[in-house]
Amino acid sequence: MTDISTSGAAAPRPAKSILSGGREMARRNAAETRFKLYGMLAISVSLGVLAVMLWTIFSDGISAFKQAKLTFPVTLSSEVLDPAGNGLREEMTKVTTIGYGRLLSAAFKAELAAKGISTEGVSDKELADLISKDAPGVLRSEVLANPALLDTTELRSVLASGRIDGYLKGRVTRQTAERDGQISPAMLDLADRLMDAGILGTGFNSRFLTSPDASDQRPEAAGLGVAILGSAYMMLLVLVICVPLGVAASIYLEEFAPKNRWTDLVEVNISNLAAVPSIVFGILGLAVFINFAKFPQSSPLVGALVLSLMTLPTIIIATRASIRAVPPSIRDAALGVGASKMQTVFHHVLPLAAPGILTGTILGLASALGETAPLLLIGMVAFVDNYPAPPVEGFFDPATALPVQVYSWASRSDPAFIERSSGAIIVLLVFLVIMNVTAIILRRKFERRW
Amino acid sequence: MEDQKTMKDIHLEERVVSDHAPRITARGVNVHYGENHALKDVDVDILSGTVTAFIGPSGCGKSTFLRCLNRMNDTVANARVTGQILLDGEDIYDKRVDPVQLRAKVGMVFQKPNPFPKSIYDNVAYGPKIHGLTRNKAELDGIVESCLRKAALWNEVKDRLTAPGTGLSGGQQQRLCIARAIATSPEVLLMDEPCSALDPIATAQVEELIDELRASFSVVIVTHSMQQAARVSQKTAFFHLGHLVEYGETGQIFTNPRDPRTESYITGRIG
Repeated sequence: MTDISTSGAAAPRPAKSILSGGREMARRNAAETRFKLYGMLAISVSLGVLAVMLWTIFSDGISAFKQAKLTFPVTLSSEVLDPAGNGLREEMTKVTTIGYGRLLSAAFKAELAAKGISTEGVSDKELADLISKDAPGVLRSEVLANPALLDTTELRSVLASGRIDGYLKGRVTRQTAERDGQISPAMLDLADRLMDAGILGTGFNSRFLTSPDASDQRPEAAGLGVAILGSAYMMLLVLVICVPLGVAASIYLEEFAPKNRWTDLVEVNISNLAAVPSIVFGILGLAVFINFAKFPQSSPLVGALVLSLMTLPTIIIATRASIRAVPPSIRDAALGVGASKMQTVFHHVLPLAAPGILTGTILGLASALGETAPLLLIGMVAFVDNYPAPPVEGFFDPATALPVQVYSWASRSDPAFIERSSGAIIVLLVFLVIMNVTAIILRRKFERRW
Repeated sequence: MEDQKTMKDIHLEERVVSDHAPRITARGVNVHYGENHALKDVDVDILSGTVTAFIGPSGCGKSTFLRCLNRMNDTVANARVTGQILLDGEDIYDKRVDPVQLRAKVGMVFQKPNPFPKSIYDNVAYGPKIHGLTRNKAELDGIVESCLRKAALWNEVKDRLTAPGTGLSGGQQQRLCIARAIATSPEVLLMDEPCSALDPIATAQVEELIDELRASFSVVIVTHSMQQAARVSQKTAFFHLGHLVEYGETGQIFTNPRDPRTESYITGRIG
């Protein structure tokens, strides 16, 4: 592409006029134009692929942020919920979610009767099935937390079942309902009537971001709460583990270590570690942290340790590069006025390298945030229904992570989980974009010229 | 020869021959960079209250020798220095010497102006701060002001001491670096081609400054410009291929060189 004239002695004289270029010139210009076209083509292909990817994810996943809800008045009768009649929490816990479920379906049925909505072709059991199986549990914990609610009547919004949710989002149709054990065309007709009456509607699904995962029967209740918390704990731990270790190692290697065979070996090893497949780190974590060190399985601590092993090389490489980019004249200047090596590094080199270190760290964290394979091996793919405790104990509690949640939802059978999975990808992407933008902003802000 | 005559016109003849005591005494200094023997058996006396110029073609070892005088060569991984360099009678390569302390006594100004990317004030105050030369802010302010005055920079920057040092012009930056170097009150000031990155006006200012600094410090300057050496120095050392060829009064070196190589260099035949 870059033609260098090889015809030594008999080089053709350039054209006399600078207005006409001649054949040679036209050829060179054509090569340049072609090269630019290749570049633009490559960029448009990648942008196109990115657009397709984002479009599929968003068209599948954005509906996860909306949820079908049934709104009707519920009387929390104390006869059912507090049979002992003394308002004691211990007594009230004897009423299980089955009791609350009956209460809810009775209230629902009463509302339909009051509004005069026909329930033709829909049995009582099917009527109760319109309400999510998650709803009684939510109501129960609410009442147990606040017994003063007993014997009040309130308009309540409860989750509709996953199939109704799917019907509102176009996933469930009358054709599929005929072959579905959990829903019938008659129930869908009823759902239409409920919508007209304003009982059934969709709203923003804040529980998707806060609830824990839910079982296969209740896709409508599944949320990312535990996964987000687990990922946040891990990122915090990775930051705390990696930054001091990585920066200290880089400073030592760049500024203090003698240049000999050993440091060369260390350098080669660091570069190799950066290229080790992440699943290998997962096996290492399983063997060392769980089987040998006996750290609890599925805990953010173990996840963070494994992710730290993966992130450290990235951070060390980025930090060394930015330390190396500090002009030697600054070091000379500091040494020249009698600063010690350490003072030179900490007063002058590090502040100048800080933007680069920060960017490298955030990008390393971002890739750790999206890492899935090693977490599968240390058991973070488990179904976790309980939030981990606040730090520090929470670091030892079972948790899961965002990318793992994506994986586990994508492998479930109910199509409702596909929507959840795409929704989780959107959340993950939003976090990644936030981190990368932060990296760019910090770099712009702290970058100094000399 | 034409050149030489012009130089003679610049008051070379009436230059006072200094009779000051030697501040730095170097005897049999050899420097190796790995296999490369960069400096061969150099003997030099740097006198107090004198500007000493090191001249010579590129790669002749003059900068190398300069960097031996405050042990900046320690930072070069494969550099090996042998021989003896005494500062006020003490061997600076003695095991007990901390190069950090030595560098506070032997300041250095570099070829390219290299102020810290900090404020003008912090640039000058950094040396005194890390060496604990002041007890309070007022004293530090005093040092900063007096050093900037000595570096002939005070009037230009007194209203913007908090502005970044890197925002100054090239000549101002170099004078800031000189102020920074003298802030630790060194005894010897080493300058490695301090004017090569400056324009003629800034060069003239720095040269004037060097002449004034002579009163308080002994100055060693490496320069490529023979005119500059002739203008600012009292003693001149000519280096060639790692050897110290000739060392003597500046006037004598430029008007009556003893060695044919010196004559070839100053008349422009080698180098």
